[in-house]
Amino acid sequence: MNVQIDSAQKRARGYWFVDGFTEMAAGGLFILLAAILLFSGNAPQSSFSTWFLSVAGEIAVAKLIGILAAILILWWLKDHFTYPRTGFVRGKRITVTQVLVIIRNVVLFLFLPILALLAVSLLIASAHSVLDFMPEWFPIGLGLIWAVLYLLAGEWMGLQRFRLLAIAMALTGIAVGIGQFAIGLPAFPANAQTGILQPLVLDSINRALTSLDLLILISGVILMTSGLVTFLRYRKENPTPYVEEA
Amino acid sequence: MSGSLQNLTGLDRMIHEPARLMLMALLSSVETADFLFLLKESRLTKGNLSVQLSRLEEAGYLEMEKTFRGKIPHTEYRLTQKGKSAFNQYRKSLGSILK
Repeated sequence: MNVQIDSAQKRARGYWFVDGFTEMAAGGLFILLAAILLFSGNAPQSSFSTWFLSVAGEIAVAKLIGILAAILILWWLKDHFTYPRTGFVRGKRITVTQVLVIIRNVVLFLFLPILALLAVSLLIASAHSVLDFMPEWFPIGLGLIWAVLYLLAGEWMGLQRFRLLAIAMALTGIAVGIGQFAIGLPAFPANAQTGILQPLVLDSINRALTSLDLLILISGVILMTSGLVTFLRYRKENPTPYVEEA
Repeated sequence: MSGSLQNLTGLDRMIHEPARLMLMALLSSVETADFLFLLKESRLTKGNLSVQLSRLEEAGYLEMEKTFRGKIPHTEYRLTQKGKSAFNQYRKSLGSILK
């Protein structure tokens, strides 16, 4: 019986994702960020640091505006599409204590293991080789981190498709890493001058950025697809708004 | 075992009824939910859902709030503090019985 109670609680928690809109919005935002990174890579810049600061600024602004726009669009869509069909739910407010617990868990179970892994890598190999292989290990690590986050979220909300998303994110990260290792994806920004950075370090950072861009882009497409499939299924199950019986 | 069985009789009967238990479980993980959401998720009939919600309200386990979403009247339900405590206690008791 406890299992059934848990299942009902998870269904209520995961209601925000019932229509696929959130995944589509997140996917769209990912694709936008990847596009900014991709197109800014071709812009002529005097040095890498200038280019990096300019892109970081653009991405921060795009993220802020994108998230605000996505929230407004999601509210409107849910208000006009989801709530008339399957009802309205107001999620629980997160307390300060809960935020602190989340931060503690992220530090304990995510950041500390990553730092430990990096420390071990630096002990085994030289800092130079760790940096050299950044384009390979960075997307793999990030893909795996996203996969863990999706698994945890899916478990908390009882969403089976989040397990598939987790697998897809992990595989994408691994594929990009292997792709970098096997064929060596092009580096960008192509026009950047080294400045204070050594050419090999700059090349490594540039190739890692290519990996990041590709990972974000593919993840965005995966999220959009997942959202679209969820939306189509939701619409099929709930074709019209609920109407009170006479 | 006999202690556990004695706990069985001590279960809150207001919550133990399956339909009400489902409603309590659904409401326990959100701030508020409206009638339509509870109707769709519980798959109860409208009449039965209304009766069960009224019983929980009479017991002081949930409260109803009538609002407007645009021009449409809207009824939201939330667990009261008493309801939350009762539900947590129920889960603890059930857990100790099923152990």
